[in-house]
Amino acid sequence: MMKYNDITKLKKNIPSEIRKFFTEKLNNYLVIIDGEVIIKNLQSSFEKLSINYNNVMDIVVPRNFSEKETLHIFYIQENTDSVINTKITLKENAELNYFEYLFSNTESKVDFVSDSYISENAKLRYSGISKFNKNSKVSVIRNSNISRYGSSIYSIAEVSDADADLRINMFLDGDYANAVAKTVAITSKKQKVRIKQIIEHNAPDTEGYIENYGVSNNDSSLIFEGVGKINKNMKRSIARQQNKGIVLGENSRLDANPLLLIDEYDVEASHGAAIGKIDEEQLYYLMSRGLTLKNAERLIISGFLSPIIKQLTTDELIEDFLEVVKRKTL
Amino acid sequence: MSILLIKNLYAEVDGKEILKGVNLEIKGGETHAIMGPNGTGKSTLASVIMGHPKFIITKGEIILDGKNVLDMAVDERSRAGIFLGMQNPAEVPGVTNSDFIKTAMNTRSEEGKSISLFKFIIQYDKAVKELKMNEDLPHRYLNEGFSGGEKKRNEILQMKMLNPKIAILDEIDSGLDVDALKIVGENITKMKSPDLGLLLITHYQRLLEYISTDYVHVMMQGRIVKSGDQKLIERIDQEGYDWIKEELGIDDERVFIEEEEERIILGTCATKEALDL
Repeated sequence: MMKYNDITKLKKNIPSEIRKFFTEKLNNYLVIIDGEVIIKNLQSSFEKLSINYNNVMDIVVPRNFSEKETLHIFYIQENTDSVINTKITLKENAELNYFEYLFSNTESKVDFVSDSYISENAKLRYSGISKFNKNSKVSVIRNSNISRYGSSIYSIAEVSDADADLRINMFLDGDYANAVAKTVAITSKKQKVRIKQIIEHNAPDTEGYIENYGVSNNDSSLIFEGVGKINKNMKRSIARQQNKGIVLGENSRLDANPLLLIDEYDVEASHGAAIGKIDEEQLYYLMSRGLTLKNAERLIISGFLSPIIKQLTTDELIEDFLEVVKRKTL
Repeated sequence: MSILLIKNLYAEVDGKEILKGVNLEIKGGETHAIMGPNGTGKSTLASVIMGHPKFIITKGEIILDGKNVLDMAVDERSRAGIFLGMQNPAEVPGVTNSDFIKTAMNTRSEEGKSISLFKFIIQYDKAVKELKMNEDLPHRYLNEGFSGGEKKRNEILQMKMLNPKIAILDEIDSGLDVDALKIVGENITKMKSPDLGLLLITHYQRLLEYISTDYVHVMMQGRIVKSGDQKLIERIDQEGYDWIKEELGIDDERVFIEEEEERIILGTCATKEALDL
């Protein structure tokens, strides 16, 4: 396997929390610290893609090109307040698996905006983890515009210690386009996190799915606002939404406010919310096999959050996620 | 060899008394069967021994090898060697069968020492084959989407892996077809040893065709009203329970009438709230 790395000026130290991921098992990644590309490690097949970074990360996947390997991008915020912009363009029939890891270890203000443009019959699988320092102020906005027969699947894990405002806006602009916005979030301590997803149907025969899995602990508050919007004449469209949540602490809050805004009769739509304490019968069952209460709780919670674990490509990333789950749910 | 001793046990749920003075002694190597019609407290007894939080013990004792079981939490009872094969095991999405059982086995090993992955896989695969279950079982989520029969086999599989001292199997035969019943029965028989005390709870004798029992008890009105051997099973098989009721002057054998579980809806529809519907 040939690798090309045109930028390897390691004048900045990579924080140990991130360095641990760069084992032989992790392929195809870029590391960006405070707006500067520090490592670029890509397999030769990625040469077909256009990946440019000049204040804006600009990724273009050419027509009919399907990249099976996942592209990982680590955005690290160390000193400066900055705006991170990412633009992903998939040309006709293109395919891409994209993963981003957003990280800050100092007090900073983070504004992250990503836009994706999915052309006809193209498919984007977009996954991300955000892990910001507790003193950060975070705003993350992810937009996706999907053309005819296009598919855009977003799986996001919000496991920061910071107060955060996350948005996913998806626009189904061509017929038979589909969009999935899946979010896993854990809040702890005094954190306040608000997650708002909108899927707007601007064409007929389109499908939009919103799925949320949340855990709130201690005195934190977590709010999910999912909106499925079907405009007039967008016949035979489907808008579905599912919210599931576990409230761990005595004073924690977890709200799910699912909304369906529908201006057309010939559609399918549904939404549901199930929020409560950890299921007593599940706890009893696991404990009846010898697991301690803490162990049983942890296993149930990590199982509950498994939709995101499936998106992670290496054991180190999975371990990192499980560790943060453990820490935030103690 | 372990001894589980149940002395004059009384238990209630939601203020209703269900167990009314149960006495039972199970030694390693013995197989006991508790039979009886529905609603006589059989499953409650099983749940109470395991420590289900729903039940409150009002009187009596449960002692395992001299230790007071009622002082132990559910997980401690399990680690002390008690196993309950449940009638309706919970489904736990996102947790695979193999992760679960591996974690359970590790809780039994000494501090810091965990079971070798290689050993575990061999042992697990063997158990899966013996119970004629699908090979994808370890990667499937715990009981999620399992048929009644699969859930029951999964309980037996866990019992095989955990190697308990006292195993209680609560209606392990319900939901099993004839072939599955045979497989489960044979697997249980194979596990029999002087180190294992077995308590089978059932209201059919079918299961007992595959597992020989040393003692048979009949439960009515929340206590054991009659004990005997294999011959008692045969007579119940032929004549039902009416003769026992007559003999003992019991009118209604039940302690409670089973109620449909109430479903609780958590969370509300935001639109409904906003529109004040």
